[in-house]
Amino acid sequence: MALLEIVGLKKTYPTGETALRGIDLAVDGAEVIAVLGLSGSGKSTLLRCINRLVEPSEGLVVLDGVRVSELDRHGLQRARRHMGMIFQEYNLVDRLTVLENVLSGCLGVASTWRAVTRAFRKDDIERAMELCSRVGILDQIRKRADQLSGGQRQRVGIARALMQQPKILLVDEPTSSLDPKIGAGVMELMCAVADEHHVPMLVSVHDLDVATGYSKRIVGLREGRIVFDAETREVDRSVLHSIYTDQDAA
Amino acid sequence: MSEIEAADASGIDGAGLIGDANPLRPRNTILKRYCLIAGFATVVLVLTAHVFAFQTDWARTGGLGQMLKTAAWFLPNLGYFPSILLALFETFLIALFGTLIGMVIAIPVAVLAARNVTPAGLASYWAGRVTIVLSRSVHELIFALIFVSALGLGPLPGMLALAVRSVGFLAKTTAEAIENIDIGPVEAIEATGARRMAVLLFAVLPQVFPIFVGNVIFQFDINIRRAAILGMVGGGGIGLIFAEQIMSLAYDRAGTVVLGVVAMVLLGEYISIRIRSWLL
Repeated sequence: MALLEIVGLKKTYPTGETALRGIDLAVDGAEVIAVLGLSGSGKSTLLRCINRLVEPSEGLVVLDGVRVSELDRHGLQRARRHMGMIFQEYNLVDRLTVLENVLSGCLGVASTWRAVTRAFRKDDIERAMELCSRVGILDQIRKRADQLSGGQRQRVGIARALMQQPKILLVDEPTSSLDPKIGAGVMELMCAVADEHHVPMLVSVHDLDVATGYSKRIVGLREGRIVFDAETREVDRSVLHSIYTDQDAA
Repeated sequence: MSEIEAADASGIDGAGLIGDANPLRPRNTILKRYCLIAGFATVVLVLTAHVFAFQTDWARTGGLGQMLKTAAWFLPNLGYFPSILLALFETFLIALFGTLIGMVIAIPVAVLAARNVTPAGLASYWAGRVTIVLSRSVHELIFALIFVSALGLGPLPGMLALAVRSVGFLAKTTAEAIENIDIGPVEAIEATGARRMAVLLFAVLPQVFPIFVGNVIFQFDINIRRAAILGMVGGGGIGLIFAEQIMSLAYDRAGTVVLGVVAMVLLGEYISIRIRSWLL
């Protein structure tokens, strides 16, 4: 059985808007998978249904043998520890320091008492420092998160996700809020650390060059359905057509 | 007008663009508004005349000289000042502890009354909201009277009255701050598998903290003023002395009390500013 398996996933928002119309997807090994699609194609919803930041309407999500989509609140909290998420808007806590933001990645396993006193374990702190060093923000760890630039903030986000020692990384439009050059640096870093930690990474992107430049496999989404799922090197014009072309115009 | 002119100049058919409806409001809307303002002003003037001119016993009030003379009775007697220092200090402590107790109670009430974090849906949300309304809709003197009859005279009932009265304002403003937080960090912390308490501490609290502290300081400021009158109903502090001096017609001593309260409020203001710059 694959590490992550998604079967028949559907999502309809309370507003009546249907974002996913039956997704089947299996992820195994430490591969970088780009989830490619236009705005509104359901990329973000798909990623968020995996860790249930968005509650799926129907279907099954199984991570490493755990049926995530059927867990109660506490079971879900346990399952989420194994899924690191990186966000488009970084979603750091502005008033906390960089190091505290990175350490918040281990809140899933820390006791409530440690959360209250912000007394993290020494080996956790050391690991956080190592991660900060790896993503290149070691000299910033005492600064408040809101004092950093966009690229630096996303690096903090990466370190926070890795702090969880995740089995999979869910990455939602990681470079859309960054300029192309900084974004490329962030993408390269994410792919490198995913490889170093031997975790697969699901990255939602809307830019084809980003998708082909960094991923091994591309999953094309269109109107809540997978229209393409293959190795990146197999991508050709017809694939682009299926993802990007305006249906009404075609 | 300039839009219409521009449309004409560019050769667009003005009537076609605007249709039958005049884009400006009809002239009599503006006229109606002026009439409304004039009418409102008249009503206010008539009511003012009723209250001030007809209801006041001008003979008893006397002339300007007499008024000034009466006011001069209240000139503070500084020799009396040392004997009110202890009561002033007690008033200050009533305000301080009243605010602190209110603050501690307000935190869970705010969590209940904030739509986005309330733990048990509508039930807990309304429990929080009703608590806030109860606290805000009753005057502190009423609370003081209730606590005095329950606990007897002294600073304790005064303190509790201020605490209960403070819960409403603090919980309401804090609940609103919680409802307005950026949900992004909350999602991020939830995504790590953190428990509810950790999410509140790491994602909600840091966003709400500055607003909360600012409001606690503001409430403390208000509570100093409130504490100064609680003594009139037996709630401890300087108010009792003030009431006694007024009733025994010792206006100079009453004036001293007022001076003392002003000094205390200034001190409270100073402390507020210091705490604010230190914490925020």
